[in-house]
Amino acid sequence: MAEESILTDDFLRELMNVGEVDILVGVPTYNSAATVGQVVQAIRAGLLQYFPRQRAVIINADGGSRDGTQELVRAASISDMQNAAHPRALRTLHSISARYEGDPGSSKALYTMLAAADLLRPAACAVISADSNIEPDWIPRLLQPVYHDNLDLITPLYRRHKFDGLLVRNLIYPVIRAIYSKSVREPYGSEVAFSGRLGSYLFGCDLWSEDLGFAGVELFLTVAAINDGFRLAQAFLGSKSTLEHAPADLVRAMRDTVGPLFWTLEHKPATQPTSSNGDSVLTLGGNPEVTLEPRRINRKRLYQMFVDGVVELEPILKSILSAGTLAELQQRAAAGENEFCYSDELWVKTVYEFAASYHKAVISRDHIIQALAPLYRGKIHTFVLENRDSGGEELERHMDALCLTFERFKPYLGELWNGRK
Amino acid sequence: MALAATQDPLWYKDAIIYQVHVRAFYDSNGDGIGDFGGLAQKLDYLKDLGIDTLWLMPFFPSPLRDDGYDIADYRSVHPNYGTLDDFKSFLDAAHKRGIRVIIEMALNHTSDQHPWFQESRSSRDNPRRDWYVWSDTDTRYGGTRIIFLDTELSNWAWDPVSKEYYWHRFFSHQPDLNYDNPAVREEMWDVMRFWLAMGVDAFRLDAVPYLLEREGTNCENLPETHQIIRDFRARLDREFPGRMFLAEANQWPADLRPYFGNGDEFHAAFHFPLMPRMFMGLKLEDRKPITEILQQTPEIPAVCQWFLFLRNHDELTLEMVTDMERDYMYDEYARDRSMRINLGIRRRLAPLLDNDRRRMELMNGMLMSLPGTPIIYYGDEIGMGDNVNLGDRNGVRTPMQWNGGWNGGFSAADPERLYSPLMLNPVYGYPAVNVASQQRFEHSLLSWMKRIINVRRSTPVFGRGSIEFLYPANHRVLAYVRQWQKETILVVNNVSSSAQAVELDLRRYKGNILVEMFGRNIFPRIGDLPYLLTMGPYQFYWFRLRKI
Repeated sequence: MAEESILTDDFLRELMNVGEVDILVGVPTYNSAATVGQVVQAIRAGLLQYFPRQRAVIINADGGSRDGTQELVRAASISDMQNAAHPRALRTLHSISARYEGDPGSSKALYTMLAAADLLRPAACAVISADSNIEPDWIPRLLQPVYHDNLDLITPLYRRHKFDGLLVRNLIYPVIRAIYSKSVREPYGSEVAFSGRLGSYLFGCDLWSEDLGFAGVELFLTVAAINDGFRLAQAFLGSKSTLEHAPADLVRAMRDTVGPLFWTLEHKPATQPTSSNGDSVLTLGGNPEVTLEPRRINRKRLYQMFVDGVVELEPILKSILSAGTLAELQQRAAAGENEFCYSDELWVKTVYEFAASYHKAVISRDHIIQALAPLYRGKIHTFVLENRDSGGEELERHMDALCLTFERFKPYLGELWNGRK
Repeated sequence: MALAATQDPLWYKDAIIYQVHVRAFYDSNGDGIGDFGGLAQKLDYLKDLGIDTLWLMPFFPSPLRDDGYDIADYRSVHPNYGTLDDFKSFLDAAHKRGIRVIIEMALNHTSDQHPWFQESRSSRDNPRRDWYVWSDTDTRYGGTRIIFLDTELSNWAWDPVSKEYYWHRFFSHQPDLNYDNPAVREEMWDVMRFWLAMGVDAFRLDAVPYLLEREGTNCENLPETHQIIRDFRARLDREFPGRMFLAEANQWPADLRPYFGNGDEFHAAFHFPLMPRMFMGLKLEDRKPITEILQQTPEIPAVCQWFLFLRNHDELTLEMVTDMERDYMYDEYARDRSMRINLGIRRRLAPLLDNDRRRMELMNGMLMSLPGTPIIYYGDEIGMGDNVNLGDRNGVRTPMQWNGGWNGGFSAADPERLYSPLMLNPVYGYPAVNVASQQRFEHSLLSWMKRIINVRRSTPVFGRGSIEFLYPANHRVLAYVRQWQKETILVVNNVSSSAQAVELDLRRYKGNILVEMFGRNIFPRIGDLPYLLTMGPYQFYWFRLRKI
């Protein structure tokens, strides 16, 4: 990827017209017409209100939309060409769109934005998901710590329901905390901000030519910031839409998150010394509370999908999991739902064995990720049951316990990773 | 005899105006104050600079509590500046050199020392009582803003002599004349006739929006005011054809438009809102503030004209900007609070632009090429500085710096006697910045100003032509086409501090070649493709389009 120019001549011409900027906001899209208009309008309003004097640009990296997404983004521009005064805008605001070649995916989109940033030299960048429920005041919460306080990475904190973001709560956050010793609650944020410094660093990394796939590079951004000495913080933004991050296709969600997590473990070995609770990360705007309103979750179905997976995927699981772990899973699958419990310890061993197998590519890596999906459903069954009546503090205690288990078993991962098990 | 009577009646469209205070230009009698004798001696300098019109600050007898805008006698000359005969001699000398003269006429108010006001306040029964606006209460016209916020708390002032309040829109020592009184209107026309008969070419009519008061209004831009202007204008055209009225009305363009009427009120008016936006555009490195205000500028009758300026004797006024824009301008151009006064910034051009020659050239380039008649404030042609420590707006009214010798060549008096201290600092002081030193070098700012004035005067397009903005996608480049009759000029300005590439859509001029107007070099012929130009920081081009 890095060998070819990702910047088309038309896009380069647009960048030339934008010139050097202070702030760059990227919006990756693919057939996002239903939502992207609101997103860019919120970004524009945030920039006008909170960064009226700064030179800013909104850059859309589009994966080949056919629904008018790019036109919606371009319509957010503010310039004198429209022959209409914008008394709230001191200066021109370009909102430009570039279509990148190849399959749509966040990595290519981010690479396109970083390439643009490399030319436009912003002090602060943000990437906002095209289906974000962003409000204008999220813009300063993300960008001000970077622009004014010289932080390098701002990851988001959201007010969520206790049963939202379960993949992050049960897998990604605890693994990142255990391996990299930083308590980044949303290491895979769909709204992040980062410094021009970090952007340049990431743009210069070799990962763009690696087999990263087409999603999940945001996680690498977080880990690179942790691992390579950049200053990071997390900022409370607001409530996260419940529709977002509740993908109907779990396997795809795992491909986009767990795959990059395992890939990152392989490519970014931890350099920070291990700490028992994960070093706290500066939190701006307060810690959000979880919301607790009742929600129906079909536990029976989760359990059945777990059982079916353990049975049907046995040949694959055999090549991924240790015999002991597999046997324990089979035993629990056979126990019946009322007796079923996917303990933290078993879950941690499962995840670490999957990570090691991914590292060793014992079978197709994609198959490894797919095979984890039914087991994750089993873990969620237990999580939901355990926290059915939990308030925020109790939920937090349970999560802490899970994180500590991941940390306790870190040597086990090391042994698996280095082939001694 | 005025020049206007014998030449083109639209002369003000092609003029290059130089604004000067007699007091500040040259002292011919060694009393420390500039005078008409001195101004006359320096006319050759002005002729050489290329200007053809002088705009003089008030020179009438006055207590000088508002730099002469507080007039105590409308038919004479302040003794500091000479005599009426000295003025006549100066006027003749100017006209002999083809230089017209615009003088101030503060219509709205007099000094409280004016005999009219002294009579008016002497008793409520005095025949001149009704020449000013009196009231037994200070609550009338409550919807009227206070203009000099830094010094005035009300538009009414208590007169302890006649025990009533009098109305004043400016300083309390400047009572407003009562234009509802026909005798006042007749008298003020008679004053103007006095100077017109002497040969004065034009008046800058001061503070015209405020002539009348009506309850329930903001007492600005009232319909009756326009009737008064139309009446004065009709008399002017009838008795002194070819002379000109220039409006001083710090208003939004749309509010100012009625002062042109159907070509039967003012000939010309200052475009106040454009000026701060030129500075804003430069600092933002974005043409948007400039193009937006010009988009909002209404068409004016063909015989009328906008007068454009970068700096003048007043503060850089920020009345005609939004609060956000004002805050930005203060932060960028007047971070030191002592530089601020009223709703504006009391600084000269060179210090505002960090003494950056490239920015001074660009700003003057825009001044000379945007639609209108340009005004150069005295001393800005050599990059004079300011002294904010002098109080009020006196920091931009220091003596002209002619050379590096005694008093900067301004006066033979002892320095202590000068009406104002000279600039002495190492950057802007007269040893560093003066006419004599700049006359010696071809590449001095003064020499450059002479060249651009000369180029501007080489065509009527800039003064009379239409404008069409090109809106290239690069917002750091301000490009427009000026057209008059068969002549077309393309102007391209890079308002940024960095080099820029810009593509211009010039397809409608396909086949033309571009001739750069300063060096007369030829640029490639316009074709079907966007016309690519690369520009250095703050660079500008003037191209004449030629179809050969």
